[in-house]
Amino acid sequence: MKPLDEEQKKKIIESPPVGTWTLMLVVGLGFVVGWLFLYYGVFLPRGAIN
Amino acid sequence: MNDTAVKKLALSNFWVAFIAFILACFMGEYQVLERSGLFPPLESAQVYFASVSTHGVLMAYVLTTFFIMGFGYYTAATSLKRPIWNIKLAWIGFAVTLFGVVLAAIPLLTGRASVLYTFYPPLHAHYIFYIGAALLVVGSWVWCFIMIVMMNQWKKDNSGKPVPLAMFATVANALLWLWTSAGVAMEVVFQLIPFTLGWIDTIDPGLARTLFAWTLHPIVYFWLIPAYTAFYVFVPKQAGGYLFSDEMARAAFIVLVVFSLPIGFHHLYMDPEQAAGWKLLHGFGTFVVTLPTFITGFTVIASMEIAARLRGGKGLLSWIGSLPWTNPMVLAIILSLLMLIFGGFGGIVNASYAMNAMIHNTAWVPGHFHLIFAGTTVIMYFAIAYYLWPIMTGKALFSKKMALVQLWTWFIGMSILTTPWHILGLLGQPRRISSVEYNSILTLSWEPYEFAMIVGGLVLLGSACVFIYILVMTQFKATKSFSGEVEYASTYHPVKDLPEFLNSFSLWNKVIAGLMALSFAIPILQFFFMDTHGSSPWGY
Repeated sequence: MKPLDEEQKKKIIESPPVGTWTLMLVVGLGFVVGWLFLYYGVFLPRGAIN
Repeated sequence: MNDTAVKKLALSNFWVAFIAFILACFMGEYQVLERSGLFPPLESAQVYFASVSTHGVLMAYVLTTFFIMGFGYYTAATSLKRPIWNIKLAWIGFAVTLFGVVLAAIPLLTGRASVLYTFYPPLHAHYIFYIGAALLVVGSWVWCFIMIVMMNQWKKDNSGKPVPLAMFATVANALLWLWTSAGVAMEVVFQLIPFTLGWIDTIDPGLARTLFAWTLHPIVYFWLIPAYTAFYVFVPKQAGGYLFSDEMARAAFIVLVVFSLPIGFHHLYMDPEQAAGWKLLHGFGTFVVTLPTFITGFTVIASMEIAARLRGGKGLLSWIGSLPWTNPMVLAIILSLLMLIFGGFGGIVNASYAMNAMIHNTAWVPGHFHLIFAGTTVIMYFAIAYYLWPIMTGKALFSKKMALVQLWTWFIGMSILTTPWHILGLLGQPRRISSVEYNSILTLSWEPYEFAMIVGGLVLLGSACVFIYILVMTQFKATKSFSGEVEYASTYHPVKDLPEFLNSFSLWNKVIAGLMALSFAIPILQFFFMDTHGSSPWGY
């Protein structure tokens, strides 16, 4: 790879981290979906403690 | 700076930590073999509980405390660029902590402290165990004191300048430990030692459990903060980039310290001694403490994204492939974050007030904490050791390839070990039992999972042995020399000045005091205003 000049480097560093936002969103959504699955799909169907 | 003295101090602390670690790994494998019921000659409840107790003490108290002290001393000296303040005192602290460990080991290894490394009376150990544990804590307070003094001295000499992030994080951890260890210290000094010495006839388990809950959850963050410190101060540089935001890192450490303290009652959801309202308050706090973890996740992943794009990475996510996966620190954080995602999800289930009933005291719980502690945290301890060992010993790392294999196998082994553990918890397998064989259809269905856990444990044991082998070979056998210094990551635009609330803990100590009073004052004081009858001794 050609070495980056200072301008290209600055552009990368100051760009919004879109990949990070995407990963955080996926993980956050995964947490919500996983929690809802465990609550409604596993916990509640077990019913009350007798 | 001639830092030979601090290197010796740090290495001594690290070696105690890692010797404890490898011993505990052997015990861990024995435990999965014993409790599976697949190997009848191994079965012994006495040996099993002594082993679990020793394994827990070695991993949770010895590995962590000594690692944190060693890492803290080295971080303080290298980030502040000054020698350790009062190194003699530091050695005294080391000796007191080590003496405490040796003392506690006697009843542990002779089966007189098989209390599962918890402090839940009326189950009790021999008084020597509690005296040893108290000395371990007192010795670690010496480290806290030195860290705080060093930061204050540096601030005095560098008025208005931001404290280096690595030191800020280290002092955050020292303060967290001082606050959090106070709970168990009160329990040990005022309840357990008098009780086990026979000075009092009965003990109030409700008060003891409340005091232990004070310590029990934030202690996990005490173990975790060195991993987060490495995330922020080593990883961006090792990945070839910059730290995304210094201020966000400081904010994450502050929120972590402040909100990890008043949340321990989520361990007591099923206990009768505290009212539901207090538990709910602590439950909300538990969800708040996920915030600094998300901030940390965002900041360190953004730092890695910068590094990957500087290395030519493109696309929304394909930049991940451009990261230097062959750098042990970078590989370790990727694996650590993966385990944090799954471990963190398990923690959210634990903290959910209603759903906790489903997994409370089941195998899910050790599955969760192994993933967070032995996975997320300890894999970063390995990475820190691989990074610092050549710098501290002056010898090149014995084998980088072997280190990478070791990190992968730890991740694979931990995944194989903890996934069945979580499933077994959902299937209803209780924790803290020495045998899972009751010859019923229910327990027979557990066998494949037990077998998988044995395999996972074996992979982990092999990986742990490789780790120790690499450290020994590097320090004592390597011929290739190494000269280098610790390189701390920085932001692209260096931070020149910070508001005082991001550069000091004075305000935050007051906030913690307020939150602790709000969350613990009435729950503790109630025991002194109502009639409780106490319990007589049980166990050893």
